[in-house]
Amino acid sequence: MDTVGLHRPMSPGLPSPHHNDQMLADETTDGLTRRSKRGTNSADRQLGTVTTSSALDRSAPATGPRPVLEVTDLYVKFGLPDRQVHAVTGATFQVGAGEIFALVGESGSGKSVTALSIMGLLQPPARVEGSIRLDGRELTTLKPRQLRSVRGREIGMVFQDPMSSLNPVHTVGKQIGESLRLHLDMNRSRARSRSIDLLGQVGIPDPRNRVDDYPHEFSGGMRQRAMIAIALACDPKVLIADEPTTALDVTVQRQIVELVLDLQRDRDMSVIWITHDLGVVAEIADRVAVMYGGRIMEEGPAGEIYGHTRHPYTSGLLRSIPRIERSTGSQLAEIPGTPVTITTSPTSCVFHARCPMEADDCQTSLPELVPTDRPDHRSACLHHAELEEAGELWSDVAAGTRRVGGDDRVIVRGSGLSVHFPGRRRSHSVVRAVDGVDLEVRAGRTLGVVGESGCGKTTLGRTLVGLIKPTTGSVEIAESGGRRVIQMVFQDPFSSMNPGMRIRDVIAEPIRILSLEVSDLDARVAELLEMVGLPADAAGRHPHEFSGGQRQRIAIARALAAEPEVIVCDEPVSALDVSVQAQIINLLRDLQDGSGLAFVFIAHDLAVVRHISDEVAVMYLGLIVERATRDDLYSSPLHPYTKALLDSVPVPDPDHVRSSEPLHGDLPSPSAPPAGCRFHTRCPIAVPGMCDTDVPRLRPVAAHRWVACHLVDPDSPHIRQPQGGERQ
Amino acid sequence: MKRLDLQKLGQYAIVIVVAVTLNFALPRLMPGNPLALIAGVDVGLLTPEQRAQIIADVGLDEPIINQYADYWKSIVTGDLGQSYRSGRPINEMIAERLPWTLLLAGGALVLSSIFGIVLGAISAWRRGGKVDVPLLTGMIALQSLPSFWLGMLLISIFAVNLGVLPSFGAVSPAANLEGWAQVRDVLEHAVLPITTLSVLSTPGVYLTMRYSMLEVLGEDFIRTARSKGASERRILFGHVARNAIAPVITFLAIRFAFSFGGAVIIETVFSYPGLGRLVFEAVSGRDFPVMQAAFLVFTAAVLMANLTADLLYPVLDPRTRSS
Repeated sequence: MDTVGLHRPMSPGLPSPHHNDQMLADETTDGLTRRSKRGTNSADRQLGTVTTSSALDRSAPATGPRPVLEVTDLYVKFGLPDRQVHAVTGATFQVGAGEIFALVGESGSGKSVTALSIMGLLQPPARVEGSIRLDGRELTTLKPRQLRSVRGREIGMVFQDPMSSLNPVHTVGKQIGESLRLHLDMNRSRARSRSIDLLGQVGIPDPRNRVDDYPHEFSGGMRQRAMIAIALACDPKVLIADEPTTALDVTVQRQIVELVLDLQRDRDMSVIWITHDLGVVAEIADRVAVMYGGRIMEEGPAGEIYGHTRHPYTSGLLRSIPRIERSTGSQLAEIPGTPVTITTSPTSCVFHARCPMEADDCQTSLPELVPTDRPDHRSACLHHAELEEAGELWSDVAAGTRRVGGDDRVIVRGSGLSVHFPGRRRSHSVVRAVDGVDLEVRAGRTLGVVGESGCGKTTLGRTLVGLIKPTTGSVEIAESGGRRVIQMVFQDPFSSMNPGMRIRDVIAEPIRILSLEVSDLDARVAELLEMVGLPADAAGRHPHEFSGGQRQRIAIARALAAEPEVIVCDEPVSALDVSVQAQIINLLRDLQDGSGLAFVFIAHDLAVVRHISDEVAVMYLGLIVERATRDDLYSSPLHPYTKALLDSVPVPDPDHVRSSEPLHGDLPSPSAPPAGCRFHTRCPIAVPGMCDTDVPRLRPVAAHRWVACHLVDPDSPHIRQPQGGERQ
Repeated sequence: MKRLDLQKLGQYAIVIVVAVTLNFALPRLMPGNPLALIAGVDVGLLTPEQRAQIIADVGLDEPIINQYADYWKSIVTGDLGQSYRSGRPINEMIAERLPWTLLLAGGALVLSSIFGIVLGAISAWRRGGKVDVPLLTGMIALQSLPSFWLGMLLISIFAVNLGVLPSFGAVSPAANLEGWAQVRDVLEHAVLPITTLSVLSTPGVYLTMRYSMLEVLGEDFIRTARSKGASERRILFGHVARNAIAPVITFLAIRFAFSFGGAVIIETVFSYPGLGRLVFEAVSGRDFPVMQAAFLVFTAAVLMANLTADLLYPVLDPRTRSS
């Protein structure tokens, strides 16, 4: 850490930390909002927020939680060979005792860098300036040895990818025990028994035996639980969780969120939860700070941020994410452009170039985080007071009704598709990635395919385009003009494009391969680029010159070049930033609008799938368990798995109430799927003697509606009451 | 140790069959009459009867498939035949030479792995620092040295100019030393060839270790270890080293086998009576049975080294253990 001696050298011209007093005043209210949040009842929670905060607004002395962590005027610069990146410029916030504080932002917003600087984990060429105090003790000036006694002991940290964050050559127990032995001076056997306790506390079944397992023997959710056990081993005051659920499935994400909430309540620790997902934040956070371009845009209690947004960026984010609980009639609002990287000390609002409210002063002065008209709520927008009158900033683009093109004929039909891969070495098992799937895609329509990772949706998509040969079954593609053309858009726009080719060649490749008759290739490429919203001069450049969203546009242009009737999109937006996701989703909708182009849209994000699909198929362990029109599926899911999946989706609204318990356990191994209904091991209403022995067939239960569940009545589609079971 | 993977054993079996077959085919694919290879320049002087006799003696009149079967039989029974030149049993010749090559290759393996791993680890730990940059440059320079040149350079310095070490042979001729004096004599003779081989092997080990360390240092679990408050030393030994060493093991296995081949040049330069020298002698004397036998030993060495690496891998990395 290169921080010694760099403590708070305020550069001239930068604002002084005048908001300290304000922050103290703010603290008085936030304890009350926090406590109200702890109620599981939303009415209760909202009442608490509104009444107490207005009553106590800036009056009483600090009765709220004392600040455990105070970050003041944090600056982080990375001195790269060719430029300086100002990752964080002047972040100031406090985290109270027992509070869950969310740092929200897109990639490059500085949220993770902030967390790493709190931990003192940034290494040169990073330079950290400013003050970070833990219980009043300055951390930035600590010597390495002193800092090590803080890390893991007073602040624990959990990272995004639990697989790569655990050492593959040590047992889980040893990795938990390492913290204990480092800080609590435990011997090997005491550390081991304490590790077993901790694994039990984070919900690992049979911890006594699992303690000697290696990370690769754990499932994704269990690995993240083990990471949490490591972070909490020494009972730290603060837990920093950096995108802890981003790599996990929604059902597992929900388990982890509930686990952290439980642990936080029991231990009364503070949590800094870093994420790009406004849905998860609404679920977990007491206070929220929204970061963009290395600066905090808006900060306040969660209910305030969502209910009384005081920054155009936050409102743009909230409007651009597909919402599972709102209508899908309109296009998503788009934040134009892409997130910024700040390379010089900012002198203007870092968001102004993408802001619909941009005024002259936004370019000439650097807005500070200042109090707004709302209690305990600060904004770094010069015009935050005008935000409410400004009305809807992020208007729906072309909110007209969708025109379905094409003639309803079936373009792709997969019948009895199954794909079995050889299992692990020496075992004679096969992985039943897809295990008997029938589906059809109609012209001009979008079939959404959703499911958790490992359910076989990607394999299904690749089988449809012919990248994988099905073990049994067949794919028929309708012929048109003597050709059958199906194309694919992949998840990762960075690795799915040859870095050595120019964009012109990337896009022209399908034309050449298929020997399409194109009179002027350059004109055709320019036309395709225009269709996906890129300038024609992009043709001469290389993939690395484009951002993720732009590359995904190029990938779409490449697919369109083959003049396909159907494009299989495999997680096309999941690698993109929230604000860019909306652009791609809108683009896909526009391309389809009025044309006969069909999509198979594969994704894990149920809200995104809902936004774009006409029909949705839900997959579980290689099988379609429910298939229905979009509105039927989302408004009245029939299969218990569909219900659980929908209920796991975090809704970006702190007042949203969950209707049921989270789904327990992980996805079973597709090489040994459970007998009977494959879902029965996790199903809340499974009936022993039926669900665990008989395989349910995918049966039609209504028009355009199929369900594979014994408990769904085929005549009047609803779940039958299992004997003595709870009502669904 | 659990029983070896069947698939793995199958792979080894295929390699052995291919190697033996190639070994069998090579002299038969060479241009020219096999008789010329056996009898050398004297071939023109032989009478037809003598020729037929020689061909029948070595079984070249048999159908090729029988010859192939005989070759396998001789390998399985461990009877590698006799040298065309000296007429001695090849088994004996190999048994005489192999220990010397093992001494050179083994000594070089130990030295180059110690230096390579330690220096590679230091270099990676202080990447771009005062140690790393000169070390990296030096290693790359060393790697490009031709082995015979280095050997001759060492001879001219230590044997000719300084006169402190012997320049050829494995033992002092006709000295009849015993006990420690003999050990000392052997070591003195081995110093220069082992040094040459080590110097040539170390850069590869070093570069592999350095690269592997840098890979591991960038892993997320190193950040996890830091976030636990582990000290740098603990991170290096507890988290980085074991993960980084696995690719080095593979490299060492390949390198060890390679030293056998490399010994041909080194042993020739130092007139060292090892297997490499035997090959050199066999090649210059067109002594095909000896060459074939020596190649077989090389193949066996490569396979043994790989097998060792395969067996070590699961010990180092639990992910490669079959459950």
